[in-house]
Amino acid sequence: MKNGPLFLLGILAALLFSWAGIVLGSNAQLGALPAYYDANDSLSYPRRQPGIAAEGQIVYRELLCSSCHTQQVRRPDFGSDVARGWGERQSVARDYIYQAAVQLGASRNGPDLTNLAGRKPSAPDAADLMNLLYAGQGGMPAYRFLFETRRIVGQESAAALRLTGSLRPRPGCQVVPTRRAQELVAYLLSLNTTYDYPESKPAPAQNPEQK
Amino acid sequence: MTSANPQANPNDETPVEATGRCPIVLLLAFSLAWLLVSGTLAFIAGVQAHTPAFMAGCPILTYGHTRALQDTAFTYGWIANCGLALVTWILGRLGGHPLRAANWMGVGALFWNIAVAAGMVGIATGSATALTSLQIPGHIQPLMLAAYASIAVAGVLAWCGRSRPSLYAAQWYGVALLFLFPWIFSVAQVMLVWAPVHGVLQAIVEGWYAQSLWTLWMAPIALAGAYYVVPRVTGRVIPGYDLALLGFWSLIFIGGWTGGRHLIGGPVPAWIPTIAIVASVLLLPHYIIVLLNLGGAFTRNPADREGGRSLAFISFGLAAYVLGGAVDSVTGIRSVAAAIQFTWFDEAQRQLAVYGGVTMMLFGTLYYALPRLAGRAWASASLARGHLILSCIGIVLLVVGTAGAGIVQGSDLSTAGVSFAAIATDVHPWLSVGSVAHATLLLGNILLAINFAMTVGCGRLRAAAEALSS
Amino acid sequence: MNDGELLEAHEKLLGRQPDDRAKYRLLPLVMLFVLSGCVLFAATYLNRYSGHFDRSIFNENLLPTGSGPVDLKPDPIALGRRMFNSGGACYSCHQPNGQGIPGAYPPLAGSEWVNGAGARVVRIVLDGLQGPVHVGGKTFGAAVMPAFGSSGFNWSDEQIAGVLSYVRQEWGNKSKPISTDEVAKIRALTADHKAWSEADLLGVK
Repeated sequence: MKNGPLFLLGILAALLFSWAGIVLGSNAQLGALPAYYDANDSLSYPRRQPGIAAEGQIVYRELLCSSCHTQQVRRPDFGSDVARGWGERQSVARDYIYQAAVQLGASRNGPDLTNLAGRKPSAPDAADLMNLLYAGQGGMPAYRFLFETRRIVGQESAAALRLTGSLRPRPGCQVVPTRRAQELVAYLLSLNTTYDYPESKPAPAQNPEQK
Repeated sequence: MTSANPQANPNDETPVEATGRCPIVLLLAFSLAWLLVSGTLAFIAGVQAHTPAFMAGCPILTYGHTRALQDTAFTYGWIANCGLALVTWILGRLGGHPLRAANWMGVGALFWNIAVAAGMVGIATGSATALTSLQIPGHIQPLMLAAYASIAVAGVLAWCGRSRPSLYAAQWYGVALLFLFPWIFSVAQVMLVWAPVHGVLQAIVEGWYAQSLWTLWMAPIALAGAYYVVPRVTGRVIPGYDLALLGFWSLIFIGGWTGGRHLIGGPVPAWIPTIAIVASVLLLPHYIIVLLNLGGAFTRNPADREGGRSLAFISFGLAAYVLGGAVDSVTGIRSVAAAIQFTWFDEAQRQLAVYGGVTMMLFGTLYYALPRLAGRAWASASLARGHLILSCIGIVLLVVGTAGAGIVQGSDLSTAGVSFAAIATDVHPWLSVGSVAHATLLLGNILLAINFAMTVGCGRLRAAAEALSS
Repeated sequence: MNDGELLEAHEKLLGRQPDDRAKYRLLPLVMLFVLSGCVLFAATYLNRYSGHFDRSIFNENLLPTGSGPVDLKPDPIALGRRMFNSGGACYSCHQPNGQGIPGAYPPLAGSEWVNGAGARVVRIVLDGLQGPVHVGGKTFGAAVMPAFGSSGFNWSDEQIAGVLSYVRQEWGNKSKPISTDEVAKIRALTADHKAWSEADLLGVK
C-alpha cells in the first residue's frame, strides 16, 4: 500500500458507507414520521407535551436521570418490561416524535419511565413523585437540592410536601418544591404511551417460522 | 534483520524527539493528569453505585454527573491526549524526518485541554447533553474540533512527507484515526446538537457515534501503538502480515455499522439492531488477525527489561481487546441481549474494551516511548512494576465484579416480582468489588504519574544543572 | 530492528502471494474459510431478521404484510381497551379488572349479560340501564348505567362496538366480537329510547 491519496479516499469512503447506511438510511425512513390521526377520537397521537413538561425534560437531561432510567418498553416476549407493568405494549418510533431530546437510556438501576403516567392500575401522582424526589427510596438517592425549606408566613403553601416521620420540617417551616422540581414532575407526569398505534401491535401473521 | 533490541539509549534517538519533544511530553502530562481525575471520579461513581446516598446532596456530583464527568475525562482527557501524542510520535518516526508543525501541536494541546476542562465544568453545572460519549456541552465542541485539527496537523504532515513511499500497519491505523475523528465528531455535533434530528433518530445517531468512536478511533489508537512497539521490541516481523491489511480494512469498513448494538428490542426498526449484530460477527476475523499479528507480544524477552514491560502491558491489552470482541458478538445474540441488556454487564464490557484493551495497550506504548522522548530510562523500575501489577489486578477485579453484578441484575430484572430494592441488595457485594477495583487502578495510576514526573522532571533538573555548571 | 528496517521488512511481506515459492501457505486459506463462515452467517441472519428493512417492523421475527406496511385501520379491541380505560366512564364503576364493586356495580367478567346476546348488550350501552338487575345470582339495584349513545356520551358505532368486543373477550370472557354494523342497526331501531330495564331487555331476542 503506497498510494497515499487512494488510502485516504478509502478510509473516508468506508466511513461514508456506514454513515449513509445507518444514519441516512434510518433518516429516510423515520425523519418525517408523522403523527397518527385517529378519526374516532378526532385527535392525533402522540399528544404534544405541555410547555412545562418540555421544560421538565431539560431538567431531566441536566440531572442525567437517563444514567439510571430507561424510556423504552420492550415487547412482552423480550424481558419482563410488560410483566412489570411499565407499559402494555412495545415502544415504537412514533412515541418519540415530539420529544426534543430523546433519552432512551441504557441502564436500569431504576424502573423504566416511558409510560409512568399511564401505568395501570395505579400511576403515581404529583405528590408521590415529589415525596420520592425529596426522600429517595431504595437505590434512588434523595434530590434535596430541588426543594427549599421555608418559614411559613401566613398560610402554608399549597405546594408544600406532606412529610411524615423524621423528614417532617421543624414546626413553623415547610418544604416546597423549586420551579425545577415542579417542571421535572410535570414532565414525568406527561410520559404516557397508552395509545396503541397500528405498528405497535403488528399482526402475528407472516411469521416465517410458521409457514 | 538485526536482533539487537534497542535499549533506551541515545542511539535510538531520531530527529522527531529533538523537534517534537515539548508538545508530545506536554500532551502526555495532560493525559496523566486527566487519568487521575478520571480515576478519582470513577471511584466516587463506583461508591455511589452501591451506596446512593454518598455525596447525593452535592448538586454537581450526583451519580449521573459523576458518571458523565468520568467518561469525559477518560475519553477526551486521557485517551485523546495520550493517544494523539503517541500516534504523532510513531507517525513522525516512521516518516523519517524531523517533526513539522510542532508548535501547532503545542497550541492545540493547550486549547484542547482548556476545552475539556470547560466541558467538565459545563457538565457539572448542568449543561450536559445526556448523549453517550458526547456529554460535553454543545458550545464547547467546535473549539475541540479546532484544537484537534491543530494537534493532528503534525502527524498528518509527517505522514505526507514520509521518506519512504511504503506504509506500515501502524501508519494505516494512525492516519485513519487522525482523519476519522473529526468526521464522526462533527457529524454527531450537527445531527445531535446544532440541528437535532427527529425522534428516535437521535438514539440511532448517538449509537453510531459512540460505536464509531470506539471502533474507528480508540481501537486504532491502541493498535497503532501495538503494531509499532511489538516488532521493535521482539525484533521479529509481524507473523501473517499480509492478513493485517484485511484486519485493518474490515475494522474500518464494518466498525461503524455496529452502531445499533444497544438498540436491540428498542423502539427502532428491527433492521438497525440486526445490522449491528451482523457487523459485530463480521468483525471477528479482525480480532483473529490482530491476535495472530501481535501474538509476539506474549513472548517474554528478559534481555530488554524496558521493552519487556511494554510487552507485558500490550499482551494484557491484546488479550482483553480480543476477548472484548468475542464478548461483543456473543452478547449481540438477541436471547443473550435480552438477559443482560440495561444491566451492569454493559459497563463491564465497556471497561474490558476501553480500560483492559485500549488503555493497557496505550500504557505499553507509553512505557516504550517515554525513555526515547525524555532521553533517559524510566526513573523507577519498581514503580513501573507496581503499576503493572495493580493495573492487571484492578482490571480483572473491575470486569469480574461489574459483570457479576450485571448477571445478577439481569436475572433479577427478568423476574417481574423482584423489586428494585431487592436488586440493589443483590448487586451490592459485586459492586463493592468494583469500587475496590477502581481504588486499585487509581493507586496504580498514581504510581505511573509519580514515575512520569520523576523521569521527565529529573531530566529537566539535570539539564538545568548542566546548563548552570557549563 | 530500527524504523527503516521495520518498514522495509514489512513492505516486502505485503506483496507476497499465497503460493509463495511453490509452497502453499495454510494461513490465508484458513482465514478464507473463517471469513466465508462469518459472511454466510451474516447473510443468513440479515435475511431472516431484518423485517425486510421495513420501518414499521419492530419485532425481528415478523415480516411486513403484503399490503403496505401495516393495516392502517385501528384494531377494534385496542380501541375498546382505550375507551374502557379512558375518562373514567367504564372502569370507575366496573373496575379495571372487570370485577365491579360487590353490592354496587355488577361485574363484567363472567357476566351472563356481557357474554349473552349481542342485541341486549348493545342496547344497554347505547341507551343505559335503570332498575335492579341480576348478574351471577346477585341483585344490583342501586346504580344506574348511563347511556353511551346519542342521548348520553355520544360514542360512535366504532367506539361502542370496540368497547363491547373488548369486554366480551377480556378477563376470561370468550364471546364473539360485536361488529360496527350491528351497533348501527340497533341504534337506528331504538332511536330516542330511554334507559332500559331488566324486564324490557329480557323481551329482546
